[in-house]
Amino acid sequence: MKKLVIIPAYNECGSILKAVDDIKIHAPSFDYVVINDCSTDGTLDICRRHGLNHVNLSVNLGIGGAVQTGYIYACQYDYDVAVQFDGDGQHDAAFLDEMAQELVETDSDMVIGSRFIEKEGFQSSGLRRVGIRYFSALIRLLTGKRVTDPTSGMRMVNRDVMQIYAKNYPKDYPEPESVTAILRMGKKVTEIPVVMKQREEGTSSIGGLRSVYYMIKVTLAILMERLRG
Amino acid sequence: MMTVKLQIVIGIAIVIVFTILVNMIRRRSLELKYALSWMAVLCALFLFDCAPKLLIVVSDFLGIYAPVNMIFFLGFCFSLVIIFSLTVALSRLSNSIRTLDQMVALNEKRLQELEAELKSAKERKGQEEESKIWKN
Repeated sequence: MKKLVIIPAYNECGSILKAVDDIKIHAPSFDYVVINDCSTDGTLDICRRHGLNHVNLSVNLGIGGAVQTGYIYACQYDYDVAVQFDGDGQHDAAFLDEMAQELVETDSDMVIGSRFIEKEGFQSSGLRRVGIRYFSALIRLLTGKRVTDPTSGMRMVNRDVMQIYAKNYPKDYPEPESVTAILRMGKKVTEIPVVMKQREEGTSSIGGLRSVYYMIKVTLAILMERLRG
Repeated sequence: MMTVKLQIVIGIAIVIVFTILVNMIRRRSLELKYALSWMAVLCALFLFDCAPKLLIVVSDFLGIYAPVNMIFFLGFCFSLVIIFSLTVALSRLSNSIRTLDQMVALNEKRLQELEAELKSAKERKGQEEESKIWKN
C-alpha cells in the first residue's frame, strides 16, 4: 500500500525540516511531499538544499489550493492513501500509522485525527473550541453524522476521496466544508484521538476580524454543500 | 425637464468616455469582449440624453417623476449588472489560475525527476563504455 503525507507549507522555514524528520523517523512507511505555496521566507531554499521532495507553486494559492495540489500529486503517482500534515509542528507523525490502520480496519473513506475525543494535548483556546463545537453541531444537523473535530488539519483519505478532492476542494478554511461534502456523498468518516501541540512557528491564520469572516464563510459553505445535494 | 446645459454636459462626458474606451481597445489594453457591455450602456445613455422625450415615456411608464432620475437609475442598474458579471468572470479566472498553477508546479516536478533519471542513465552508459574500453 503506497501512502503519502502531504505537507502544505507557507513560510514554514523554521519548522519544515523538523516536520519532515518527524515523518521519516516516526512514520517511515509513508512517502512525503512538501507543497511550497509560494513562500517568501526561503522555505523553497531549504527544500532544495536538503533535497526534500517538494512541489513548488509559483502563485500563492492559500491552504486549500496547496493541499489540493497534494491530492492531485497523490492521484498522479498512484498512492492508495494520502494524509494532510501541517508543517508548523502542530501534528505528531507518531499517529500516522495508527490512522492508516484505522482506515483499513474500519474500511473508512476518511480518518480524522481528533483533539477532542480524549481531550489530551493542546485543546485550542476557549473561544475557538466554541466555534469548533458549533461546526460540529451544524454538520451533525445537516448530515446526521458526528464529527468531533471538523477543523482538524490531520486527515487521512483513501483513493476514492483523494480523487474527489483532486477535482473539487475549497479555497480557504477548507476542512469543515470538505468533510461535509464527502459525508453528503455517503462516504464513511471515522475519528481517532490524537494529541496536537501548540504551533511552534508562525501564527494561526484565524483571529480578530478574520474569525468573523471565518465563521460566516464556513457556515455558508457547509449550507451550500447541503444545497448541492 | 432636463436643462439643455445638463444635456450638453452629459453628452460631452459620454463622448469623452467613449473615446477613451475605443482608444484602450485599439491599444489592446481592454478586451473588446468586456468593453461591449460598457459600450451598450454608453449608447443607451446617449440615446436618452439626445431624446429626453423618450425618457418621459419610459419614466411615466415606470412611475418616476423626473426623467433625469431615470437616467441615473438606469445607469446604476447597468453598472450593477456589469460589476456582477465581472465578479463571475473573476471567479472563473481565479479557478483557472489555480488549476494552471497546480499543473505548472506538478509538471516542473515531473521535469526535474525526468532530468535526474536521464542524468543517471547517461552516467551509467558512460561507465559501461568506459569499462568496455578497459576490457578491449
